[in-house]
Amino acid sequence: MEQIIANGLYLGAQYALIALGLTLIFSLMNVLNFAHGQMYVFGGFVTYTVVAQFKLPFVVGLLASAVVLAVMGALIEKFLFRPVIRKSKRDESTMLLAAGIAFFLDAVILLLFGEKQRGVPKIVNGVFNWDMRIIMPYDRILIGLLAIALIVAFILFMQYSRTGRAMRALAQDRVAAELMGVDVDRYSMIGFALGAMLAGLVGGLLVTITGVNLGMGGPTSIKAFLMIMIGGAGVISGAIAGGFILGMMESVGLTVLAAYGDVTYLAIFAALMIFLAIRPQGLMGKPWG
Amino acid sequence: MNQTASGTEPARKMLSFDNVELYYDHVYALKGVSIELYEGETVALIGANGAGKSSILRAITGLRKIKSGQVCYLGERIDGRRAAEIVTRGIAMVPEGRRVFPLMSVKDNLLMGAFTRTDKAGVAATLESVLTRFPRLKERFHQQASTLSGGEQQMMVIGRALMAKPKLLLLDEPSLGIAPKLVQDIARAIVAISRDEGVSVLLVEQNSRMALSISNRAYALTTGQVVLSGASKDLMHDERIKAAYLGGEL
Repeated sequence: MEQIIANGLYLGAQYALIALGLTLIFSLMNVLNFAHGQMYVFGGFVTYTVVAQFKLPFVVGLLASAVVLAVMGALIEKFLFRPVIRKSKRDESTMLLAAGIAFFLDAVILLLFGEKQRGVPKIVNGVFNWDMRIIMPYDRILIGLLAIALIVAFILFMQYSRTGRAMRALAQDRVAAELMGVDVDRYSMIGFALGAMLAGLVGGLLVTITGVNLGMGGPTSIKAFLMIMIGGAGVISGAIAGGFILGMMESVGLTVLAAYGDVTYLAIFAALMIFLAIRPQGLMGKPWG
Repeated sequence: MNQTASGTEPARKMLSFDNVELYYDHVYALKGVSIELYEGETVALIGANGAGKSSILRAITGLRKIKSGQVCYLGERIDGRRAAEIVTRGIAMVPEGRRVFPLMSVKDNLLMGAFTRTDKAGVAATLESVLTRFPRLKERFHQQASTLSGGEQQMMVIGRALMAKPKLLLLDEPSLGIAPKLVQDIARAIVAISRDEGVSVLLVEQNSRMALSISNRAYALTTGQVVLSGASKDLMHDERIKAAYLGGEL
């Protein structure tokens, strides 16, 4: 029991971080970023390259992932989403663009990093063992704690910094934010960069545990969308709740349903369909818009 | 009533619209509108829904691009500039429908009003004066804006606009959707603000009686054109205004 909860929390923290990036982009720009999973994979490969190939410390790899993805996010916003949003009157255009970027990034990842599964050496050795009730390798605990620290840092940034306040204002009322002097283009770009950066950071964190491969992008995007559908799109609390709920469900499912074969996600999808039929706006809803 | 001319120096021209045309897609919202506002004045724009009143405010703040004509503010052309830039020049707008940031506290809403200001001490002083003017906001300071009543929200967004320390305050339908009893409070607040802060006010209202009673001058608009203008106290007794805007209302 304790083991299931511990696994759920560990997974949930990673998931919540992915969902936060996705929901930030959605709430600021009304863009469904289907390429979010690919950004995560890209972040993983950047950390892998820095740590396994250049033999630099893990922290440097993580920072490199953050910077590369933030720059990538900023460029994608400025040169792809911004002109499309400006010219197009329909939401589908940005969806198609996001899907196109997902395929494009898949191709770039294949070209730059190849199709092989990659990982980095363990950053910490040893296994935590609490009386056989919770057994967890120290590196997982460290990564889990790092993820939680990042979530906390993100919340504090959004809540108390001037930039964070401007982004919340922009998400809640675009026109009013403009009237307050918020430069919509600039803060959309910052938001997109930040969202992509979060995806890249999780990739960098998880490459130490599960490794990373080309095929993980699509499924990760789908999981991220599951999370914000559970929690409610566009809300920080919803993304965090959705992340931890999905992490927990996965953890429970992998233990309880193991006897019936690989049916965890089948059960999760079925449960989600019923849940969304009852509460289509998710747990925390989307109170604006 | 027209105190602007009572000083020894002639008042400076603050804002002028020169033959402005504006259209949404292919439908005209403004067909050659010219208006003026002098420093210290409160000017009202009255007219029915769709007459173009709000379009004038949107053209000033840069939320809408004008097709032709000129918008000048303190002697400089401001049409074509972006909304985020115009607020830094000292024009703050209270938009129609209030547009609070619903999930932010009253405090954060007010601080957003001072977004472009960098003088921390000055912002703190303005915040203090806004809270003194609207004590209700002080009581609700840490509450989410969405939990406020319509009247309180209106006070809050007026306070939010004042946080920018504007020279020109644009008010778009401040009485819309507010309990009649509170409309008077808001009218009083507008008068007090223009008196205490030396802010010029451009007021858009469907409640013409209220607008005329607190303004120095007014323009009446119909389908994108100015049809009448003059001192508010004269317009109040003008038969055409009475028939068109004051009849039945209130």
